[in-house]
Amino acid sequence: MAVFLQSMISGILIGGVYALIGIGLTIIFGVMRVINFAHGDLLMIGMYMTYFLFALLHIDPFVSIIVTIPMMFLFGAFLQKVFINRVLGALPQNQILLTIGMGLVMSNAVMLAFTSDYKILSTTYSSASFNILGISISSPLLISFAITIAITLALYWFLYRTDTGQAIRATAQDRDAAQLMGINVKRMSIIAFGMGAALAGTAGALISPTYYIFPQVGSVFTLKAFVITVLGGMGSIVGATLGGVIIGVAESVGGVYFGSGWKDVIVFILFLLVLLFKPSGLLGTSKD
Amino acid sequence: MQNMRGMSTLPVLLTVVAVIALFLLPNFVESTYALHIMILIFISVIMGSGWNILGGYTGQYSVGHAAYFGVGAYTTIVLMQYQHIAPWYGVWAGILVAVAIALIIGSICFRLRGPYFVLASIAVAEIFRVTALNLKKLTNGAEGILITDIPPFKIGDIVITDFMSKIPFYYIGLVTLIIAIIVTWLLQNSKLGYYFQAIREDQDAAHSLGINLTVYKNVALAFSVVFTSLAGSLYGLYVGFIDPTTVLALDLSVQIVMICIIGGIGTIFGPVIGAVVLVPFSEALRSNMIAQALIDSGLVNENSGVGTFLKEQLSHAHVLIYGILLVVVILFMPDGILGFIRKKLSAKQRKEAI
Repeated sequence: MAVFLQSMISGILIGGVYALIGIGLTIIFGVMRVINFAHGDLLMIGMYMTYFLFALLHIDPFVSIIVTIPMMFLFGAFLQKVFINRVLGALPQNQILLTIGMGLVMSNAVMLAFTSDYKILSTTYSSASFNILGISISSPLLISFAITIAITLALYWFLYRTDTGQAIRATAQDRDAAQLMGINVKRMSIIAFGMGAALAGTAGALISPTYYIFPQVGSVFTLKAFVITVLGGMGSIVGATLGGVIIGVAESVGGVYFGSGWKDVIVFILFLLVLLFKPSGLLGTSKD
Repeated sequence: MQNMRGMSTLPVLLTVVAVIALFLLPNFVESTYALHIMILIFISVIMGSGWNILGGYTGQYSVGHAAYFGVGAYTTIVLMQYQHIAPWYGVWAGILVAVAIALIIGSICFRLRGPYFVLASIAVAEIFRVTALNLKKLTNGAEGILITDIPPFKIGDIVITDFMSKIPFYYIGLVTLIIAIIVTWLLQNSKLGYYFQAIREDQDAAHSLGINLTVYKNVALAFSVVFTSLAGSLYGLYVGFIDPTTVLALDLSVQIVMICIIGGIGTIFGPVIGAVVLVPFSEALRSNMIAQALIDSGLVNENSGVGTFLKEQLSHAHVLIYGILLVVVILFMPDGILGFIRKKLSAKQRKEAI
């Protein structure tokens, strides 16, 4: 039982970070109907930014998100303006291939610049943990979970309470109608991709004290981001939050009971089952 | 000079000449490196043509074809290494296993459309990769399988080839490639091919005309997987080593799609052009030829920082080139090189007509 509780709790903690990744992907999909295959690579860039801010300027990884978030936002907005905007009307397959290409360019450019060696960002608290009722909780994971919650709450506030947020949600609901209501949908798309990139980058920053940092780390997270978003319902922000936590728990508990080598298989089978039996996801409404 | 199938005489003649030249090539080319590149191109064309039947003609963008490439390679090589079944039988076993698996997956996944199908195909391929990593008894896990030796191919007592040189692989690859292209051509002009293309153009319209979507998508998948699996077996036998990260990787799935996208999807010679562009380019990068050429040409000083950087790092960059090519092709020539040229030609003809 203790093992079960232990894996549940670490699953929920990492699930918070997964939720951030999923929310970013789901906002992009909601606003533009584009599935961003470069999402994990944006996360990887966030990780490298955090690493170099720490290694060169000694900025704590959890503090560095103040720098990472705006930088990643600008980078995402740039990608949207230069690349994604051109294919918004194209076949979905071509959009997917474009983002795959962008992802390959990002991961391999990073490999070219910094080699494919694993980098480790070790802080004083990287392996610290404390015990509550016999369950050990990793300190960096707990801090990142707290930050995740704060960011998620801020995001909800932004999307539901501000004019820009409402405009983004309106664009996601019906692009044409939103345009007719006088919303600048091109600008909303740029903001949406910027936000998606910023969220992925933040997730990267938050996990960098506990993960190996290497150029190909992104693809794992891209796949996870899909699973999370499909599980929650493509375009649903609440769904992605929930999906993140579910996948975190499924991985962690599955890893304990089936061996860590198989945990990805469990996640993908879960993914296929959802795709087949409830493709609109747990909270999504199918619009296509 | 057009015959009833819309093919003019000149391209047919050129193709025949090219095929004859390719058959004679090993007699004139001594360099094993040139043969190596040719074999890699052949394998790429075979897997590209396989994908093209499903992705190009039927419009089902699978980004998980590495699964069938890997299943073909693993079946053939596991049978040869552990059961001592000669590869010319094992290859067929590989095809059978791959097609059987594909049909199961197809009947499950083909009800999904567009981006959802793409995601499902990726998930399936990843399940295969992780399974191959974990089934250590069968696949030797992440260490992969090294082929010790391929038995000589005999008819009666006469040894046809002992697979010691690259020549047998060259001819096997070439013949398979020609078969792949002929099958694509036959399909394109058959009733079956018209069904496939109808599904690609508009699934719902095709369905309302009485085309059973799931059945014909699966038929297309079966054709597609035969060649993908063959390419996998051939690759494994030729390279002599397979592991999950080379024959079952997502990168490979993307590469298979790219060969077609860059050449031009849904065209017979698209995969040929894609492979001819991609393979030598990435091989040149991988073997550091480009870095060396830059240094030799005097553009870059060998001992400068840039020179050593290029020499050490550019060989890792062949995937970067794939990425850049993919982005450029999607943005500027969404119909691939072949489609781009055709468009330019027809624009020119139109101008001349006026």
